[in-house]
Amino acid sequence: MAEKKEARIGVFVCHCGTNIAGSIDVEAVKEYARTLPNVVHADDYQYVCSTPGQTMITDAIKEHDLTGTVVAACSPRLHEPTFRMATKVGGLNPFRFEMANIREQNSWVHMHDREGATEKAKDAVRIAVAKASLLEDLIPKSVPVEHAAMVVGGGVAGMQAALDLGNAGIKTYLIERSPTIGGRMSQLDKTFPTLDCSQCILTPKMVDVGRNENIELMTYTEVAEVEGYIGNFEITLRKKARGVLTPDEAEARGIVGGGCNGCGDCVEVCPVIKGNEFEFEMAPRKAIYIYHPQVVPNLYTVDFNTCIKCGLCVEACGEKKAIDLEMVDELIKVKVGTAILATGYDLFPIENKTEWGYKKYENVITGLEFERLICASGPTGGHLVRPSDGETPKKVAFVLCAGSRDNTGVGKPYCSRFCCMYSLKHAHQIIEKIPGAQPYLLYMDIRSFGKMYEEFYYRIQDEGAKFIRGRVANILEDPVTKNLHVFTEDTLLQRPIDLEVDMVVLASAVQPTTGADAVRKLFGVSCSQDGWMLEAHPKLNPCGTTTAGVFLAGVCQGPKDIPDTVAQAEGAASAASIPIHRGEVELEPYFAQCNEELCAGCGMCVNLCPYSALALVEKDGRKVMEVTEAKCKGCGTCGGFCPGGAIHMQHFTTPQIVAQIDAFLLGGEQ
Amino acid sequence: MAMEKNYGNPSLEAKLKDRYYYSDDTNRDFTKEVEKIGRTIAHMCYQCGTCTGSCPSAPRSSYRIRLFMRRAVLGLEDEALTDPDLWLCTTCYSCTDRCPRDIAPTDVIMAMRNLAARRDIVPRNFLKTVQAIYTTGHGVPNNDVNRAARVKLGLEAEPPTTHGFPEYIEGIKAIIDHYGLKDRADKILSEGE
Ligand code: SF4
Ligand code: SF4
Repeated sequence: MAEKKEARIGVFVCHCGTNIAGSIDVEAVKEYARTLPNVVHADDYQYVCSTPGQTMITDAIKEHDLTGTVVAACSPRLHEPTFRMATKVGGLNPFRFEMANIREQNSWVHMHDREGATEKAKDAVRIAVAKASLLEDLIPKSVPVEHAAMVVGGGVAGMQAALDLGNAGIKTYLIERSPTIGGRMSQLDKTFPTLDCSQCILTPKMVDVGRNENIELMTYTEVAEVEGYIGNFEITLRKKARGVLTPDEAEARGIVGGGCNGCGDCVEVCPVIKGNEFEFEMAPRKAIYIYHPQVVPNLYTVDFNTCIKCGLCVEACGEKKAIDLEMVDELIKVKVGTAILATGYDLFPIENKTEWGYKKYENVITGLEFERLICASGPTGGHLVRPSDGETPKKVAFVLCAGSRDNTGVGKPYCSRFCCMYSLKHAHQIIEKIPGAQPYLLYMDIRSFGKMYEEFYYRIQDEGAKFIRGRVANILEDPVTKNLHVFTEDTLLQRPIDLEVDMVVLASAVQPTTGADAVRKLFGVSCSQDGWMLEAHPKLNPCGTTTAGVFLAGVCQGPKDIPDTVAQAEGAASAASIPIHRGEVELEPYFAQCNEELCAGCGMCVNLCPYSALALVEKDGRKVMEVTEAKCKGCGTCGGFCPGGAIHMQHFTTPQIVAQIDAFLLGGEQ
Repeated sequence: MAMEKNYGNPSLEAKLKDRYYYSDDTNRDFTKEVEKIGRTIAHMCYQCGTCTGSCPSAPRSSYRIRLFMRRAVLGLEDEALTDPDLWLCTTCYSCTDRCPRDIAPTDVIMAMRNLAARRDIVPRNFLKTVQAIYTTGHGVPNNDVNRAARVKLGLEAEPPTTHGFPEYIEGIKAIIDHYGLKDRADKILSEGE
């Protein structure tokens, strides 16, 4: 700590062009600052954040031998780092700087009250000066960063992020709760606008993930608990009882040459039949199952909710001894430096919009069900059929904005962003596969904003799809033919229409996947009003979150198509690798400190701390509280509570806060 | 402002009339007034067509609720209030049930009808209904066919309403008189003769 000397404060008032000067008398604020105790210098400038503005601060520190600086300008969220640096360049500890926000909290909200705004700015400056006079030197703490990362979610976003991290030489745990990676993309038939087969472009990536020596793939696993902070997350994983051993696990149990090799002998004998979730239950699976032939890892799973433990599969598996029907969940702890959340989406339960008859009328299906029905590896071998009678539909209506752009409370107010494009693709697919097929797209706006998307729209219209501009009012079923009557207004013709079709495909809205909220909360990430995970800044930090070291990739942050998802995943991987490659991170020195002489060892603070940063330890034969500085976030809960006043909150000390309150209440008079 | 034309031939003039929408056709106060009376966010309509698609009147008439919503958004007061289709809404509220923007188009129509009535624009059959209610307490009074049917069903010939208790008609009259509705109806009807 620097030697104690009389405080000498310099105040710099910023005009911010007309942002501040337009509604505050900057000159008056500066003159007022000069009259305040401890202030030995005050100045104003057009843009204090500019290079000349910063030089003004560094020069003044030297010239007037300042002990602290105050800048009255914008929000500290924006330029606190800038002015701290200027203070440091001037030769002071950077934490001897205090900011008075006279823009966001003043000039912008009091635009029409120049006098009031000016008085409020004077108050803000007076309070900041009071604190600046008592600021102390602080030294940020560096902590080492674990050379490992975690990616939660094994869809295309999580896979891409894990591949990038792994290829950058970082040990990466890829956590997936279902038995295979691949996510939503592996359920799609073709992808717009290129019409690549989704599985064909995805499976090589899935295989790469399985093979990458830096990726530890953990499927059928969930995050149970998260402790720690950037650089040092300690994460507990729940490896769900899968009932099947990998060759490595088998070997660990002393079964040489055993373990699951994906042969599927067990499936034949299993007597329990269930709907396959991967096929939206349009195809069966057994109680021991894989979703589809291309799963990674190629490993069977026992569904213990339906398994009757008859043991037939164990017999069929024979010498491989891969099946253990007594397996239980296992908790595993891993340490990582950073984490990426990529939990993806589910469809909004579109049956809640009762007027469209989903789950009531057999031939009303969702876009994802359409993908499975048109896919060669799907339940019908790629033959689109009507669920009611197995007939090939000719006239198919695609209902866009089904539950999206909806402010009724049943539905989602946002645009789901990829349904227009996949509906165009669906239209193409039925024209291609079914002779004489007629797709109708019922739309409000066609949003074809991506590269080659508008061209795709042109192509599908040229192929013969009919576009009807009207949002569907309701759908009724003909009880005999099971055909559907789609009612809307052709708003361009200005006529109501009754469109009889063989099948309806609802481009249902998307929403965060079940469980995403739980994961988000474990990692301390907030969500925006619409329920998607909240990025640190919508434009300038779309991959980061407000929790240092935690990043977002893909649809968990908001609806995106595949190109955007992959791009964000690569961005998140890059951001997550930076602290790991640097090897250490600096923590803001705002942690609590214990004055052991005053501490009575009552321990009441220990349970109050939301970050488990406090503990009681034995010292010189008595108990005192100890802070794990890296865990402390400086929230002040303990400091405010301690009955003995033994806790010192750095940068928010009791004398500093009292001085601020006094300065406010006394109106500057001492 | 629309251009005047003069061909000396009314039907040709109607056919070739200036159809531009000019920005000064918009009366912003009209939008506000409709929202105030209708208590709904009419200006938020994004013209999806769900309302017309839900409307039982639309397939049987030239009435398009969505067009009235458009007029509400743009403040096209004269166009909205003078279009006779304004009176074809059945007030079934189907559109209100389904509007994805959570607007109540039915209440927009009701507001516009109120504003039209202020200008004495009300169809004659509506006014005659007022007169019927005033004198009988019913918009559709009982008649001989109904009476016969009721008796056949084992009911009293007159229902237990103002028909069965004519002494209550005075109360209904008092309510209608309070708002001057009957006088208005009489006046407009006589002017139209
Ligand atoms: S349903 Fe609502 S938003 Fe759609 S056109 Fe009608 S009033 Fe407008
Ligand atoms: S309330 Fe009126 S406008 Fe709305 S659907 Fe019914 S009849 Fe049509």
